[in-house]
Amino acid sequence: MISSLISHPAFPLAIGSLFIFLFKEKANLISIGSILISLFILLFITNNVDYVYKSSLASINYFSYSKLAYLFCLVFLIMGLIGKLFSIYRDSYKEKAMVLMYISSAIFVLFSGDFLTLYVFWEIMAIASTMVIWSSNSDKSLSAGNRYLIMHLLGGLILLLGIIGLYIDTNNLQIRLLNLDTWYNWMILIGFLLNAGAPPFSQWIPDAYPEGSYSSTVFLSAYTTKTSVFILIVTFAGSHVLMLIGIYMIMYGIIYALLENDIRRILSYSIVNQVGFMIVGIGIGTELSINGTAAHAFSHIIYKGLLLMSAGSVIYMINKRKCTDVGGLYKTMPLTAICGIIGALAISAFPLTSGFISKSMIVDASIHEGMQLVWLMLLVGSAGVFLHAGIKFPWFVFFHRDKKIITTDPPIYMKYAMIAASAICIIIGVWPQLLYGLLPYPVDFIPYTGNHVVSQLHLLFFSALAFFISLKYLERTLTLTLDVDWLYRGKIKYIKLLIKYLFGMINKTENIFSFIGLRNKFTILEDYLLRQTTISTMLILILIIFTVSLVMNIS
Amino acid sequence: MNDRNKIIYTLILLINVTPYLYVFYNFKKVNFNIDSILGFYPIFGFLACISLIIIAKTIAVILKKGDTYYD
Repeated sequence: MISSLISHPAFPLAIGSLFIFLFKEKANLISIGSILISLFILLFITNNVDYVYKSSLASINYFSYSKLAYLFCLVFLIMGLIGKLFSIYRDSYKEKAMVLMYISSAIFVLFSGDFLTLYVFWEIMAIASTMVIWSSNSDKSLSAGNRYLIMHLLGGLILLLGIIGLYIDTNNLQIRLLNLDTWYNWMILIGFLLNAGAPPFSQWIPDAYPEGSYSSTVFLSAYTTKTSVFILIVTFAGSHVLMLIGIYMIMYGIIYALLENDIRRILSYSIVNQVGFMIVGIGIGTELSINGTAAHAFSHIIYKGLLLMSAGSVIYMINKRKCTDVGGLYKTMPLTAICGIIGALAISAFPLTSGFISKSMIVDASIHEGMQLVWLMLLVGSAGVFLHAGIKFPWFVFFHRDKKIITTDPPIYMKYAMIAASAICIIIGVWPQLLYGLLPYPVDFIPYTGNHVVSQLHLLFFSALAFFISLKYLERTLTLTLDVDWLYRGKIKYIKLLIKYLFGMINKTENIFSFIGLRNKFTILEDYLLRQTTISTMLILILIIFTVSLVMNIS
Repeated sequence: MNDRNKIIYTLILLINVTPYLYVFYNFKKVNFNIDSILGFYPIFGFLACISLIIIAKTIAVILKKGDTYYD
């Protein structure tokens, strides 16, 4: 028991987050220190041993080592370290503690060997990330966090139903490759996909992430979606339905990002787009595509962090978050501009950057399987990434119309963080063997062939040409674009009506409750639920799901 | 000449240079029938981007609302 905790890389982070509440002034020291300890444990102590707790009902495998989990854990910790360096000036110990808790629960999920452990840390991750969003302390972040939490608790509920079904049917909770032939496996898939930002629930990413503080968005972008990508690789690799979902996500991300005005929201849409590439890779399901997906997740975490750090620096220095308010910042913030451009080149898979060596694996996997339509869609996606993130983000923020904003580059540690992330993007791009050695399957893939380089350059240059030719139509306006969340945003009044109605029914049976003396307590509960939107919504949702499952006689 | 035109001319210059990379790399690998067409990647990339922008603009007609729609 003790040895399993000592060799678990998530454990120091969990302890560290508790220590921050005790020593608030030392929050930075504790966070960076505990991440370094975790990194040390991962590199030198963690070994290929499973720790299993056996009981009469099920065996709980709370630590299960795999090469894939090692890779994801490594990049989680690297990004945690860079992000912590970036957020040194952020004056909120609560955010720092919750970020540590968030990373820790994500790593617990990576190393969990059974669905029950996974589920527990899955929910902790949802709550910790909501706290990270709320820690920005604005009204908008409060309501966005509410919607985020409801969405994730709903996903968790669906996942739990699936896990219960799996346990009842097979009496085996071990995490393993599942087939989509039973209803509970579909439930598990939906629960995982919801965290990946799959349709029709993609909008929680651009809705919630940009409402975090300038530093917390960097962390938010890295963990939830990529944990979900990890678990989908382990459980649903090769399910062809994922290719359709992934392609939809790629297109959705591009089209919505083209219409968006908020800087960080553009980057959030491009998270959906990039995760779409990974989901397609999981759907193809060959060794090459799984390697590509893992590699793409690794490089994506770093360059997305870099892009959000450069956007965060802009927000930190001038406190403006809309494309229409900024422009021409390359003169006053040269380093931020250079780092932002490196990130933008990496996300659009420009040769010599990390995106190129990972995305070409997924694209090549589709060629090897002879999937022409998927391949064409991936090409459209590759061209579109350059359009919506590769050029649009740097162009509207750092160039375009000079708004004559007087400012400077951010303080020193924020610069270090951005430089470190840019360096990783380029080092991996130039020496891909560094990353290929860590992938789950042996790699015999050469990214720098004439075919790859020339075709990619052609795609990118011509999509750049398309961008500048149609620049007039891409001019940003003060608008937002409706999404599926229109169905539930601002609809809380109906939930409140429903609660009043339900409690009205309870109050009609006055005699029983007044007899036991419970009536007063129900009035207190009603008042409480009318004030707490998240809890009341979840209660209604649980009631609905419970009723549906009873009607369908699923139990 | 404004910035936008400068960039467009630079890009056209770059685009004119890239075909020579074919020569250096002995670039003759064909994946599917469709990419044996000369200039498949540039044409496809360009058309893909233009059509994405057109789709986005079409969607915007219905779904675009003012900045304070939800407030």
